Amino acid sequence: MSSAEPVRNEVFSQISRLLENKSLVVTDDMPLIGGESVLDSMKLVELCLALEDKASEIGFEFDWTSDAAMSRSRSMFRTAGSLASEFISQMEAKK
Amino acid sequence: MIVVTGASKGLGRAICDRLIEKNINVFGLARNVENVPFYSASCDVSSYESVKAVAQQLKKDGVKVTGLVNAAGIASMNLAVTTPQSVAQKIINTNLLGTIYCCQLISPLMLRNRQGSIINFSTIAVALGLKGESIYAASKAGVEGFTRSFAREMADFNVKVNCIAPGPIDTNLLKGITAEQINKIVSQQIIPKQFKPDSVADLVELLMDSRSDSLSGQILHVGGA
Repeated sequence: MSSAEPVRNEVFSQISRLLENKSLVVTDDMPLIGGESVLDSMKLVELCLALEDKASEIGFEFDWTSDAAMSRSRSMFRTAGSLASEFISQMEAKK
Repeated sequence: MIVVTGASKGLGRAICDRLIEKNINVFGLARNVENVPFYSASCDVSSYESVKAVAQQLKKDGVKVTGLVNAAGIASMNLAVTTPQSVAQKIINTNLLGTIYCCQLISPLMLRNRQGSIINFSTIAVALGLKGESIYAASKAGVEGFTRSFAREMADFNVKVNCIAPGPIDTNLLKGITAEQINKIVSQQIIPKQFKPDSVADLVELLMDSRSDSLSGQILHVGGA
């Protein structure tokens, strides 16, 4: 297991915590924005705040206000997997 | 801590002075803060990166932000057809985009606490459709529309968002406007008198207080329109 794996699991766990349907399993391709999103916009903001806290615990600052975060086509919020990857990438960049 | 933009002069400064007088912690933002005698930082609200740097610093410092007053603004009293493109761009960038950037980047500091009050600034020129203020009014009409929608987005987080739309208040923003022009505008208000910055500060004080927690998404016209 890579060192990023526990962090990826933590991101998935934060998403899971906010799901209304608790029987859903968070997967890499679970959409977080758009028509098929499992989270409404308010839950998405809550997720960002939770990830900010998590990043702070780990020792870096999670930036969810960048252009890349907001753009629909390349947004980090496309899927649970893309969000986890961006979170890990920001963590590694700030090491 | 309440963040106030346009804190170096005019309405923004009067608002800061009032809040400080009421023992409220204020963080003033302005392009030039050399002569600002309270906690402040240089910030160009029309620059997303500049606002973002301030927001990141506040977050890093662990400042609990409970309010935001978007008082930074510029005006240009000209017919649209005689307004240079660069001036039109600057008015939209500062008044509309500046307000949007500050709301986008500073409100997350309030969402976390599920508490806050945001005050944007429009003008009575929007409601009255004043001649010679079309571009300025357009920028502020955008602020009003943004305020109404943004208020709904913030409501679930217990953050209220309102907009104050003053008539011609006695500040340096009116430099170059004749008394006759001011009187003409004032005469179109429901209360036909020119108000002082103190009247606006009164409203800010109220909107920052929990006594106004039932108000959000509202446009409050100073002088009435």
